[in-house]
Amino acid sequence: MFKNDLIVRNPLRRMGSETDDVIPEGGFGAVLAHAGVGKTALLVQLALNAMLRDRNVLHISLNDPVGKVSLWYQELFHHLAKETQVQQIHQLWETILPHRFILTFKAEGFSVPRLEERLTDLMAQDIFHPQMMIMDGLRFDESGRQPLCDLKAMAARRRMRVWFTVNAHRHEQPGPDGLPVQLLHVADLFDIVLELQPQGSEIHIKPLKGSPAAFDGSPLLLDPSTMLIRGNG
Amino acid sequence: MIKSDTQKVRNIGISAHIDSGKTTLTERILFYTKRIHAIHEVKGKDGVGATMDSMELERERGITITSAATFCEWKGHEINIIDTPGHVDFTIEVERSLRVLDGAILVLCAVGGVQSQSITVDQQMKRYNVPCIAFVNKCDRSGADPSRVISQLRSKLGHNAVALQIPLGLEMDLQGIVDLVSMKALYFDGDNGEIIRIENIPEDLLDLARKKREELIDAASMFSDELTEAILEEREIPERLILDAVRKGTLKRRMTPVFVGSAYKNKGIQPLLDGVNRLLPCPADVQNEAMDMDNNEAPVILAADTSMPIVALAFKLEDGLYGQLTYIRVYQGNMARGATIINARSGKKIKVGRVVRMHAEQMEEIEAIPAGYIGALFGVECASGDTFVSPGINLTMTSMFVPNPVISLAIAPKDNKAQINMSKALGRFTKEDPTFRTHVDIETGETIIEGMGELHLEVYVERMKREYAAEVSTGAPRVAYRETITQRADFNYTHKKQTGGAGQYGRVAGYLEPVADADFVFENDVRGGNIPTQYIAAVEKGFRQCIAKGPKMEFPVTGVKVVINDGASHAVDSSDMAFQAAARGAFKEGYLRAKPVIHEPIMKVVVETPTEFQGAVMGLLNQRRGMIVGAQDDGPMCVIEAQAPLAEMFGFSTVLRSSSQGKAQFTMEFALYRQVPQSIAETIAEDTARRKKNAA
Repeated sequence: MFKNDLIVRNPLRRMGSETDDVIPEGGFGAVLAHAGVGKTALLVQLALNAMLRDRNVLHISLNDPVGKVSLWYQELFHHLAKETQVQQIHQLWETILPHRFILTFKAEGFSVPRLEERLTDLMAQDIFHPQMMIMDGLRFDESGRQPLCDLKAMAARRRMRVWFTVNAHRHEQPGPDGLPVQLLHVADLFDIVLELQPQGSEIHIKPLKGSPAAFDGSPLLLDPSTMLIRGNG
Repeated sequence: MIKSDTQKVRNIGISAHIDSGKTTLTERILFYTKRIHAIHEVKGKDGVGATMDSMELERERGITITSAATFCEWKGHEINIIDTPGHVDFTIEVERSLRVLDGAILVLCAVGGVQSQSITVDQQMKRYNVPCIAFVNKCDRSGADPSRVISQLRSKLGHNAVALQIPLGLEMDLQGIVDLVSMKALYFDGDNGEIIRIENIPEDLLDLARKKREELIDAASMFSDELTEAILEEREIPERLILDAVRKGTLKRRMTPVFVGSAYKNKGIQPLLDGVNRLLPCPADVQNEAMDMDNNEAPVILAADTSMPIVALAFKLEDGLYGQLTYIRVYQGNMARGATIINARSGKKIKVGRVVRMHAEQMEEIEAIPAGYIGALFGVECASGDTFVSPGINLTMTSMFVPNPVISLAIAPKDNKAQINMSKALGRFTKEDPTFRTHVDIETGETIIEGMGELHLEVYVERMKREYAAEVSTGAPRVAYRETITQRADFNYTHKKQTGGAGQYGRVAGYLEPVADADFVFENDVRGGNIPTQYIAAVEKGFRQCIAKGPKMEFPVTGVKVVINDGASHAVDSSDMAFQAAARGAFKEGYLRAKPVIHEPIMKVVVETPTEFQGAVMGLLNQRRGMIVGAQDDGPMCVIEAQAPLAEMFGFSTVLRSSSQGKAQFTMEFALYRQVPQSIAETIAEDTARRKKNAA
């Protein structure tokens, strides 16, 4: 089937993780970068990968309206389909679309109980049962530890895998193990932390936590023109 | 007499969400510009079906403020107010009226803020690049919060919205406005707010006003070096400098100046009109393009020059007392009485008869409509959207693309009189609106009307009743399904008949395959004359005959590519007829092998609801096979976006109202065709079979 051709070769596999699900159920992953480098793009690819494998993805955005988020998916999917030269992408797109649900909140209006309420709504009515959650735009420095602990508990209860974007500030020095300050107080909650680093015209994906730094040697890259993870080699 | 200083002409629209006070605002504008002489109140609006209600009211009061274009004058400027239909169901009509606008007032409710329909209207304005100013109305209502509306303009619509005024008091306490450019307080005295009293800004508002003025100047300085210099040199900043900069930003659509007030309480209308004059474009500021039909629809830039050949667009037809009134906008040249013009669509030559201009309550005969102006012609045979040009040029203002209808309805007149009126009405409507179609079903003998949505058809049925006294009963709405194939399949079909007389012989071979972006593609790949060239056209014709009614369910077939690569003929027995029949047979043969499926129209549904009903609304959509794309949580309100099959959306407005205490509203427009799930396809098949049986 076309789907298999398209399933993104999981970049994290090259970092030493053998299964597609890099983080366990109830686990947290984070992608860290400065604004505009490609955090959302990377997470949307992970989401697309999950959708192609019939996993339900709940995408929560605290910045962008629904239309913009869904444009991210469309764009990346089309780039992906173009690169892999899959035919009949339209049909395929239609089949994976029901696996995605976008919820957007105003950053100041977001709270874990509110999210919990929405999720209960969705699941009780059998509208959507998320297996993976993308949390885009949560401000770590402001929110403190408690909401993340609450989220962790929720993720465990609902058996979801959760990926976060973390905005790095240019003026801040990273902590002792390379983790940015705003993550320090919650670092124990995360199974994996990746950092996107623009170097010249390339964007490198570097693991900061959670997987051995020794992978197959060649760097993992995001293609800045398509924002796709570059294929092997 | 019509003047011809286009610098002082404004062709504007007033775009608004239902119930944000468009009718009241339009009426006040006409009052202050002395087009009407008394103010009536719009009463009994409950928000439901308000457009129809207000239309009715206007008619009862004898004011034609919903006429397609109303002319008025304000401080030496000539303003044409062009009616923009409020609902998205009228996409073609809305878009056509947006074509003729140069600028718009976006009316927003100070309480409701930016609502789903404002978003749709705004998108359309964006598409046609219409500069706009915003008016935050209803500042006298409890819960009014203009600053929230401004921030919504920024966050939801992405406008660079900047306040030009702030309200003096709010809600019950609204007294007037503070003009941030002149830094004066304006009060509106007299029975109808016609006397403007200018005072100093009250002490308690001074700080806020200064701060807001600073924000305004800051935003405006982006568009004027002169202003930036004045700021840097800390000079006194003249009003002219600010307004010039704001105008520049507005015309580029990079800034939206915001006015405030309350039309109902007669506050803030005159300054808004000043804003129209001062900030919105004149016809010469806007570049208009036509398409050259002799040159592959290449764009041609039109010049607002009366000495050039005429190019004009008929954007609205109206049935008046004296026959058909055709509203036109002249883009180039001078449409004078007695001139000869050609309808670019039909090629018909027309002599211009009476030329008029519409006022609120009467019409005025004029000699000519020069470029940049809007007026109306009498007794011109045309359809809405037609382009008129001078003889010798072949330009068109509108592309000929018209979307296919997605829904149909059988209608039957109640009596004989209604029968006659109904056909009159249908004749008129189909001329006005190309997305509205009608035909008689050959099998059932019923009159079928087709359109872009349930409401679209409902409104026309209602209009038949009101305007033509044609009482009709309607059947259940029927969805325009389509068929298509999902895989490649070969065919090889021989049509052979020898039953005395001349025989028939033709063989056609090739394959069918799905094609994404066309309804039907035919490719001839036959080599060596196996099918003689003279019969290829007949083969194509045969295939085309099949796509009108698909072999699976008799729905129109779309997205099929036919390639023929072999065949055979007979020296005597082959004919056009024989090859057409062979093609039909071949299509049937290939089609059934190509796994045909049914597609149904899917609508994009946007529901706006108080957050407490979010769960309930999602449930409703889910029950209707809706796929929820996402939900936007916006504090007290939330917006749910979904894609739902049209077939499941009948009567949705009633259900939505009852499960949200009337507080949720929704808009719906056609999005795409998508394959029908198997279980539903079976139901459709049964329905079709039953209907056929009944008809037989």
